[in-house]
This record gives sequence, structure tokens and C-alpha cells, in this order.
Amino acid sequence: MVHDVFTFLVGGKAGEGVKKAGSVAAHIFSSMGRQVFQMDDYMSLIRGGHNFSVVSTSSRWITSQYMKADLVVNFDKRSCDTHINDVAAGGIVIFNSDEQENADGIGIPLSSEAEKFPMKKLMYGVGAVAILSSTIGMSKDQMNQNIKNQYPSGIEDNIKFADTIYDMVKDGCQNKCPLERGVKNRPIITGNEAISLGAIAGGLDTYYGYPMTPASSILHFLAKQAENFGLAVVHAESELAVINMAIGSAFTGARSMVGTSGGGFALMTEGISLAGITETPILCVLSMRPGPATGVPTYTEQADLNFALSAGHGDFLRIVASPGTVEEVYYLTAELLDLVWKFQTPGILLTEKHLSESSMTIDLNIDDAKWAEPKMHNGGKYKRYLDTDDGISPMLFPPSKEIIKWNSYEHDEIGITTENADMIAKMHNKRNKKLNALIEHLKTQNTVNIIRGEHPTNIFTYGSTYMSVLEALKHGGLNPTIVQPIYLSPLPVWELEKFKNQDNIVIEQSVTGQFASLLKEKGGVNIRSVIKRYDGRPFDPIELSIKIKEELE
Amino acid sequence: MENLKTNAEITWCPGCGNFGIFTALRNAIPKLEAKGINRKDIVITAGIGCHAKIFDYLNLSGLYGLHGRNSSNAEGMKIANPDLKIITFSGDGNGLGEGLAHTIFAAKRNQDITMILHNNSVYALTTGQYSPLTEKGWKGPSTPRGSIETPFNAISLMLEVGATFIARTFAGEITHLTDIIVQAIEHKGFSFIEVLQPAVPYHSWNEYREKVEFLEKLPETYEEAMKTAKNKHKYTLGLFYKTQRPVYHEGLYGNHNPLTKRLSRNDRITKIKQILFG
Repeated sequence: MVHDVFTFLVGGKAGEGVKKAGSVAAHIFSSMGRQVFQMDDYMSLIRGGHNFSVVSTSSRWITSQYMKADLVVNFDKRSCDTHINDVAAGGIVIFNSDEQENADGIGIPLSSEAEKFPMKKLMYGVGAVAILSSTIGMSKDQMNQNIKNQYPSGIEDNIKFADTIYDMVKDGCQNKCPLERGVKNRPIITGNEAISLGAIAGGLDTYYGYPMTPASSILHFLAKQAENFGLAVVHAESELAVINMAIGSAFTGARSMVGTSGGGFALMTEGISLAGITETPILCVLSMRPGPATGVPTYTEQADLNFALSAGHGDFLRIVASPGTVEEVYYLTAELLDLVWKFQTPGILLTEKHLSESSMTIDLNIDDAKWAEPKMHNGGKYKRYLDTDDGISPMLFPPSKEIIKWNSYEHDEIGITTENADMIAKMHNKRNKKLNALIEHLKTQNTVNIIRGEHPTNIFTYGSTYMSVLEALKHGGLNPTIVQPIYLSPLPVWELEKFKNQDNIVIEQSVTGQFASLLKEKGGVNIRSVIKRYDGRPFDPIELSIKIKEELE
Repeated sequence: MENLKTNAEITWCPGCGNFGIFTALRNAIPKLEAKGINRKDIVITAGIGCHAKIFDYLNLSGLYGLHGRNSSNAEGMKIANPDLKIITFSGDGNGLGEGLAHTIFAAKRNQDITMILHNNSVYALTTGQYSPLTEKGWKGPSTPRGSIETPFNAISLMLEVGATFIARTFAGEITHLTDIIVQAIEHKGFSFIEVLQPAVPYHSWNEYREKVEFLEKLPETYEEAMKTAKNKHKYTLGLFYKTQRPVYHEGLYGNHNPLTKRLSRNDRITKIKQILFG
């Protein structure tokens, strides 16, 4: 084991239950009161290819998968070859002896055993759960109970199959890595589930989406929960429709959110600009995958930061914030929903595949979510774009006797189109005033997470890379200060001031170092070096800790 | 009728067909009110183009959107608050060029909204380029040797994609136009009105007046409507098709209203706890 962490890795073809086996493992660990981080690595295809799920668990808070596993279960030869270097010292490797005769590890005839049942290959995942159960010293009864709960169809066959596999690996696995039980059973959710729940808690009424990995599971989760929460959840014909429908909904007063990845966001930018001038409160989740263009759909990157910061033509206020953890994204989604309604402007929740689709055990105070409330008009003649001290015009929604006009053309206070020079400048000034109001508001909020260390160097990071950094420091026993700006636009320079001229390094997932550039240009932060990864994979804490150590020495 | 006019300066060309639509709209609203439709519940959206200027002139609430995206705005309004009556104004370039997909999908879904398509068969505001409804051979600044494309037939297109109320009328026939608008707004489902309207720098009123004729009767079946739409010339006015089909928002959430029946914060928190902690 890597210190206090146990890692289980299961790999095979899409359609063999790899992901499900990972998720069952995660639930087994969390039901033992342990903390979990699960990452699924999969290709953009339906059947075949190579998928794997890696689940790391500890009795303390854990914020990353480890790519050195204590138990590796391979369903096929490709998995065996792929993960040959992903085994921890003393780790157990299981291979499918029907596919290859000689490999390092314990061979079991997974295929021929599964062939005896009608579900065949679909049972491989159950086999992996049986091997894990044996390895962590779980009794057959406990295992069967888990299988019953987690695989509700074909229970009898699944249990029969699991029992066979459990007995087969007895010699090599039984109780080889007994796991200590923790004290608290925590729920385990993905980043996208946390986004969805945070939005609901913050007041979401309508959600629009067009399928695009890694944001699709927000659409799926909310569609499933629509009736339960009384939401309207719509899969529209394109991201153009998505953003414009959401803006239409917001006009009626409905708290609206959209979600996509880079390519879909590119289509939405026209609508983001519309939201800018019409002062529409709209929240957009941008979950990054490697680009440009179609890029690598099912992997992770942080290369849309610049794009998010400048999305949409014209001068207008964009709020951009990026959550560091699955817990943080629950609160942040509700908070952003509130902010876009308070300041009547588009907001972007910038995240990555690594946060969207990874699962973690969470300690959430559900009640702490913000609730989106706009400033409302309180009687009298209504002017949609009334010029106020802070630039925020009170809102009013139909049906109303007062006329409410939102306009994509430059407009007067009523909302009627104008080309008058004074009015154009006045409206620019009005909208621009909201930036100062927002900054004053954010100064009273937590906008940057700072974890003070003893080492004089500071590490700047953001988004899910924060989790990788946390785990790397824990693993390496390193203690620099970590600075993780949650808000990226406006950048909380008032918080960064004190670090500006210290020794700073940046860790991010972009080949050009977009985050480092932002810190330099907007924050005047002195940066000594940038640790980057841009191969679609998240950092591994062991490798990252070595790189950080080199920088700190 | 006068209080349906804002103080905005009207910048349509003198004699523009849009004035006819503006007048008919202001005639239609009191008639709808007489039928029990509340003016407060009427919300408009418009795209970009000469048609869309009506947004500034009509004293009704709404959203002046982007070129081609007005029907998506309208769909979003209806989905969020189905109590509202939504009218979306579109031009032929706006609704069948840039916004074609949105127009088609709004009809496919049978969204309970009304689209008024101002058909002047030209991109007027941008100086006379050919539009999706312009006759082949049109010499505009982008097609100096004449447009080489065959125009859409808006009526048969709408029949094909699922609109449940489809009519063509003319800006010079105010009574007919007013009557069709009233019927369309009363109709439950996607109602589509193509309004022939001369843009005077490019077409004269006489070109239209000489050719318009009325359908003798409402075609009885879908097939008959399609045949009529395809065989009659493009100046044929009247109601081509009217049917009933489930509307989108009711399919999505029955008789719920996401806005007026929204869940309280407490109820949401309780339900989230149920999901996470059982």
C-alpha cells in the first residue's frame, strides 16, 4: 500500500461492467466508513476499446486516484499490458487465463467461468468485486449482500459466479489487504451530481442541454430528477437553442442553467453575449476536455480558461469561477446561481472532466447552499434598465401591467433600441458599474482557498488540479502554501496581493500555461515555474509529488 | 389600440408592408382580450431584421433576441411559464435562414407558441440580398448574376415538420390578417403565419395585389393541405391546416408550471438529503 491508501484498479473492454465494478468498489469502501476517490478512464466508444476504473480509499480525506494499485483486475490481455506499470510494490495482479497463459500474477479462467451463465461477459465486473472482497478480507456473506444490492438483475447467477471466483482466488488474495473500518458513512457522488444538486438547492427551475461529454451526465441526472423537484429539463436541438431557450426562461424569472464542453460552449458564446447586453442572469457549466475542436472527448484538460474569460463579443461582465473539489462545487453552483441573479449577467462554472466525472465521498452541509434572489422592482413605473448607483436595475417578470422589455440592441432605460451616442455611453457605464459592485461583494466572500504551509514557496493552482496537488503534498510529506483562486473573473487580486512577490510556482493542465498567464497579467504575480500536464490524464499524486519536490529544493 | 404603441420612432420605409402587420396586431389584441385572454399574459420575442422593429413599436413585454434565435427564446419562455401566451416575430431570412433549425424544432415539438413570419422575400435591412424565400434569379448584391437557389415553400415545409396551425395572409388584407392572428394565438399548439409583405424598395404593392387570391376552403386532411400548399401559387392566402396534437410543455411535465409552482427552498433541501442520505 502507498502509505495509508489502498487502490483498486479494474480494466477491460467497454460493455464488460468495468465502470460499474469501480463504482461498487467505491460503495463498498464508503460503506466501511472510509473515504474514496474514484476515477473512470474510458474511450469515446460504446463497445470494445480499453476502459478502466481506479478507486483509491483511505481512512482520511483523499482527493485523488493513485496510479499504483494494490489490486489490479484485468479482464483481458490489453488491460494486462496497459497496466503493467500501474502496480504498487507488493500489489496483486489478476489476469484472465483464458486470454493469456503466462503473465505475472494470478490467472483465473474468467471467460470460461462467465460463459456458463447467460449474461456471459457482463458478469466480469461481478468477478472483479469478488476478487476485491476476498483481498480486503470480506466474508462471502457480506460480499453476497453487496452484490444483491448493487446488481439487482440476475442476482442468483451473480452470486453463484461471485462465489466461484471468490474461492478461486483464495490462495493468492484472501485477506492480503485487510482494510481498517472508518467511523462515518458518507455519500459518494460525482462532480456533475454535485453541480446538479447545488443548482437545485440554489433555486434552479429550468435546465437546457445538448449531449456533450463530459457535461452530459448533468443533463441525465437532472432529467431523472425533474419530476421530483418540479424542474423543466430539456435536451434541445443544439447549443444555440440551449442558451437561447435558457435566456427565454430567465426572462420569465426562472432560474436557468445550461451545461456543455468546449465545442458546445463555442456555439453558446453568441448567447452569452446576448445575456451580457440584455442583463440576463444565466449560469453556464463549462466542463473542459482536451481541445481544440473535437479534441479528446472523454479525457481532461484546463485549456478553455482564456476562452471562458473572454466568451462572447463586446464589453460586459462575465463571472467565471472554478471549483476545487466535489464538495466545493455543490456550494459554488448555488453561489454562482445567486450571483448571476444578483448581478444580472452570465456566469460560467468552469470545471473539467476530472471533477465532473470522478466520484468522491463527501461531507456536505446541504443547508449551507446559497439561494438565488434578484433585486425586485417594488411598484411604480417600471424601467427594465433603470440606471442605479451600482448599475443593477430591479427586476420584474410577466405577467405584469408594466411593460418589461429586454433588448439585444443597445437600448434606453425602458429597453427600446437606441443609436444615440449619449445613451450608448450611459448604458455601457451602467453595465460596467456592476463590476465594482461585484468586486465589493466578493471581498466579503471566500474567493480564494489558502492552505498555509511552512515552506516559503507557494503553489498556485485551480480547478480539479487543486485536488491532485493536495494529494501529492500529502503523499510527499511536503508543505508549501497552496493558493487556489475559486474566482477567475473577476480575479480576486485583493487576496493575491500578499503573495505577489514571493516565490511562486503554478500547477495546471494546459500546454501554454493559461492560468500562469492570467496570474501574471491580471494579478502581477511573480511566477518562477509552471508544472504542466496536457496528455488528457489528471496528475498522479506520486509523480506530481516528485516534480513538486524538485521545484521546492 | 393606441396604447399598444410605444413612443419609439418608427423607421420602416413609408409604405412598408410591416405597417399592415403592426396595425393587424394592434387590432388583434383587443379582440383577444374580449375573448378572455389577458394582455399581461402576452409576451413577444423577435429576431433581427426589418420585421423585428415591431418589438420596439408594440407596447408589449418581451425579449428582442438575436438573429434567428427568437423562437428558441419563445420556447424557453413557454417551458418556464406555460401560462404565458407567446408570439414570436420572424423574417424570412431570420426564421428560415439563420434560425431554420429552431423554427423547425419549435414546430416539431408543437410548442404552444405563435410565429408570425414577415415574408418580404428579401434581406431588406442588409440592402437586398436573396433570402430563403426569394425567387430564383434574384439579382441582389450577393448574387449579381441572379440567385441560383430554389426557394423554400414555407407552408409545405411547416406541414412536413409538424406545425398544427398553418396559414398565409397578406399585409394588404388587414381584416384577414387580423382574423388569422386571433385564431393563431387562440390555437393550442405551434401556429405559423406567413405574412406576405412588400419591402417597398424591392417590391411594389401591385406585384402582390394583382396576384393574391384566397383559398376557397380549409383543406380537410393533411394530404389535401400538402397538395394545396404545393400546387397553389405562392400568393394563395388562407388557412391551410389546423389540427390538434399534444403540446410540448404538457408532454414534459403535464399540468405543472415550473415557475408558479416552484418548490420552496426547504422542500428542495429535504429532498436532496433524501437522495444523499436515504
